Amino acid sequence: MRSHAMATAAAFGGAALILAGCSSSSSSDSDSGGGSLTVLCTVQEDQCQQVMDTFTAEEGITARYVRMSAGEAVARMNASKANPEFDVVYGGGADNHVASAEFGLLEPYVSPNADVIPDEFKDADGLWTGIYWGMFGFCANTDVLDDIGAEVPQSWNDLLDPIFAGNIAMAHPATSGTAYQAMWSQVELNDGDEDAALEYFGDLHSNILQYTKSGSGPGQMAGRGEIAVGLIFAHDCVKFINEGFTNLETIYPEEGATFEVGAVSLIKDAAHPDAAKQFIDWALTPVAQEIGVATGNYQVPTNPDAEVTDDMVDRDDVAVLDYDIAEAGAARDELTKRFDAEVAPQPKE
Amino acid sequence: MTLTLDPTSTAAQALPPTTKRRVRGVGRDPSVAIIVAVVVAVLLLLLGLPMSKLVMAAFSDEGLVVFTGLFTNPANLRVVGNTMLLGLLVGVCGTLVGFLFAFAQVRLKFRGKRLLHLLALVPVVAPPFAVATATITLFGRSGVVTSTLLGLNTDVYGLGGLVFVLTLSFSPVAYMNLKGMLENLDPSLDEAASDLGASKARIFFTVTLPMLAPGIAGSFLLLFVEGIADLANPLVLGGDYTVLSTRAYIAVTGEFNVQAGAAYSILLIVPALLVFLVQRYWTGKKQVTSVTGKPSGRAELITAPALRIPVLALVAAWVVVTITVYTTVVAGGFLKVPGVNNEFTLDHFRFVLAGIGSKAMLDTTVMALIAAPTAGVLGMLIAWLVVRKLGRFAGVLDFVGMLGLAVPGTVLGIGYAVAFLVPTEIFGFQILPPLAGGAAALGGGLAIVMVYITRSLPPGQRAGVAALAQINPAIDEASTSLGASGATTFRKVTLPLIHSAFATGITLATARAMTTLSPIVFLTTPGIKIMTSQILAEVDAGRFGNAFAYCALLVTIVLAIIGLINLLLRKVIFRGLLRH
Repeated sequence: MRSHAMATAAAFGGAALILAGCSSSSSSDSDSGGGSLTVLCTVQEDQCQQVMDTFTAEEGITARYVRMSAGEAVARMNASKANPEFDVVYGGGADNHVASAEFGLLEPYVSPNADVIPDEFKDADGLWTGIYWGMFGFCANTDVLDDIGAEVPQSWNDLLDPIFAGNIAMAHPATSGTAYQAMWSQVELNDGDEDAALEYFGDLHSNILQYTKSGSGPGQMAGRGEIAVGLIFAHDCVKFINEGFTNLETIYPEEGATFEVGAVSLIKDAAHPDAAKQFIDWALTPVAQEIGVATGNYQVPTNPDAEVTDDMVDRDDVAVLDYDIAEAGAARDELTKRFDAEVAPQPKE
Repeated sequence: MTLTLDPTSTAAQALPPTTKRRVRGVGRDPSVAIIVAVVVAVLLLLLGLPMSKLVMAAFSDEGLVVFTGLFTNPANLRVVGNTMLLGLLVGVCGTLVGFLFAFAQVRLKFRGKRLLHLLALVPVVAPPFAVATATITLFGRSGVVTSTLLGLNTDVYGLGGLVFVLTLSFSPVAYMNLKGMLENLDPSLDEAASDLGASKARIFFTVTLPMLAPGIAGSFLLLFVEGIADLANPLVLGGDYTVLSTRAYIAVTGEFNVQAGAAYSILLIVPALLVFLVQRYWTGKKQVTSVTGKPSGRAELITAPALRIPVLALVAAWVVVTITVYTTVVAGGFLKVPGVNNEFTLDHFRFVLAGIGSKAMLDTTVMALIAAPTAGVLGMLIAWLVVRKLGRFAGVLDFVGMLGLAVPGTVLGIGYAVAFLVPTEIFGFQILPPLAGGAAALGGGLAIVMVYITRSLPPGQRAGVAALAQINPAIDEASTSLGASGATTFRKVTLPLIHSAFATGITLATARAMTTLSPIVFLTTPGIKIMTSQILAEVDAGRFGNAFAYCALLVTIVLAIIGLINLLLRKVIFRGLLRH
């Protein structure tokens, strides 16, 4: 019996040694001769899957991915900074990429395909390049509006009407880049005056039912008829409408709103930098960008040659506020803290 | 999830307490020494390393800001207050519901006891978001029940909704504890009291309840901890009601501040640890050994309608609510947009079963199947060491094993992320490669299996300790005095005697492993898809139909595995070893 126990102990010890001997990079590759790539993907899961499949088929490099929200992605990259798990981060608002760059997580790469992308959709230093953009707006449930006897709100000002008390929802700016767009829109509309922007949200506070944790939460709540108006990206509203929430209506505020740019970036010290660069090049082509609409996502592609459908916003029809993405990203921390301290805890009338 | 408390029996029946026996020195039995070494090493890896890394992160600069800000920043103070209130309410309501069910099951006379038992336990296998999303669909502002049927405008987000959902999810824990205690109560005291002329009500309030007090308190404390540690439900249903677990999650994913997340997590551990220490102190005081452990008689079942009708009515009402909620979960997968567009469709199941969904099912099942037996065996080993072999260090080992449950899931996840996403080094030497994340060995699956084991270990350990405490150690000593080593005794004598505790342990371990979410959130990898994080993604995107379909499948798989494991244990492994 003693030898039995000894044998078990030896087996444990052997296993531990083998584990210690495994080095990280050698064991994660299990691919054909074409090379492999690991992508941190923050768009919807089905879009991620199709993007990876198409890239693998076209370029012959096996692309694997993990899907998580943009904020989680930054945190995850930061946590494994010393030993990056991923090569490329695909999707997610540029403000997240700016934050990642500030943490020292990204490496500049200017793709030859980036030439056709307009300047406003890419970083001057090449740290991130835009693959889609979308407008911020309102998503209103026409049935609920009828119930409470309200007109469809057409402007930011309309939202302040007391008739909407407890019938509006937006995400909390700290958790979601979506809500931060709303904040920055107000800052831009007030010519950069942050105090005035916070004052607007203070006024809006009584109409807000809750500040959701997820960016698209308000849209779902509107879709299910729990509130009248959700403040989310217009393309998310269109997505909900096409998924079956038929009593929703997309509104672009009259005064104007900001837009988000979804970007792709090269991660610093990536295990497969060449494959990563190839992926970025490919992501900027029309073929790659059209996968979005094929999987039911209605952001506008940044490549002028990519197809634009009717569901997507038409730049000429709506009021778009131009703004400096880097400036917005830099101010985020402080603005959201002030929101948390000055606006959120106030009692609602 | 079931932490059966050690049954307290009355003095009338106690044999002399035998827990503090002179234990055979570990040094005299090398096989036991090896087992201790292995168990300690495993626990160090599973719990010691992540927890110490977490504490280091919490007390770094960014983390200290949270602690100091605790008393100066009103927002933080509010979050802590919210958390405590939630725990309190869940503890009270959950214990109440559990007590009602246990009382009805053990003391009242009615038909359908087996059915009630099963219905009371349904929430154990439920996935994390199932109840929350069903509650929104049923009782929300435009819920099927509240708005369509009753015309009410209820806001289910916030404290009320959370208490309801958490009570529904965790009352089985209270039920199982209190049922066990009620069954073990010696009715001779009740009979003595009624012989002296006391009315049934008087007996209940002056004899029964005080004897149950440790059980009720224990259940309350357990539910308190489970209530404050939960992440999935406050994320979906919390609204503006922020609690520590969601605050930690936001700190990590919204503010990219893992250290602050660690600090909030540490705040969560404190009440959890206190609960377990108090519980150990309380139940450690009264312990009784008897091989069979059954009381000398059964209390007579109550037939008085004055008591039966109200209690059974309340129980029935709760059962109806439970069934409605879980039916919505199963049916919701078949509706186009549950609650809004109730057309029948198979699209959601198609989405879930094709592509990512099937891979998620496979990965989750495989890892749970690896983790559950490991957790079961480890739990039994620890229970055996704690009750039989270790003298002074028994308490420490028992406590460390329980940390897997005491530490909230979010905390564990952050700890694992901090510890295992990068190689482990001591003085510059790498002793472990990264075990989590895409760059790790085996596609990061190892860390996920480890998390599963850690979370599943405590129920088996508790069941083992309770079972072993009832077995007279003279049996073990008879075996060793005949020449068997400690390990052989464990294998051939002890294990068969506690086989049902082992089966329970594994069953709960599997259910728990497959439905855990909070630790996994931070450990997802490209090679491995987990069902619960897929469900989170679908709920986040508002695709409730897909989420319900996933939940229905998850429940089916869990039940199938539990059935299989029980069958295997009873028919194959223990067949030759059972005495009865």
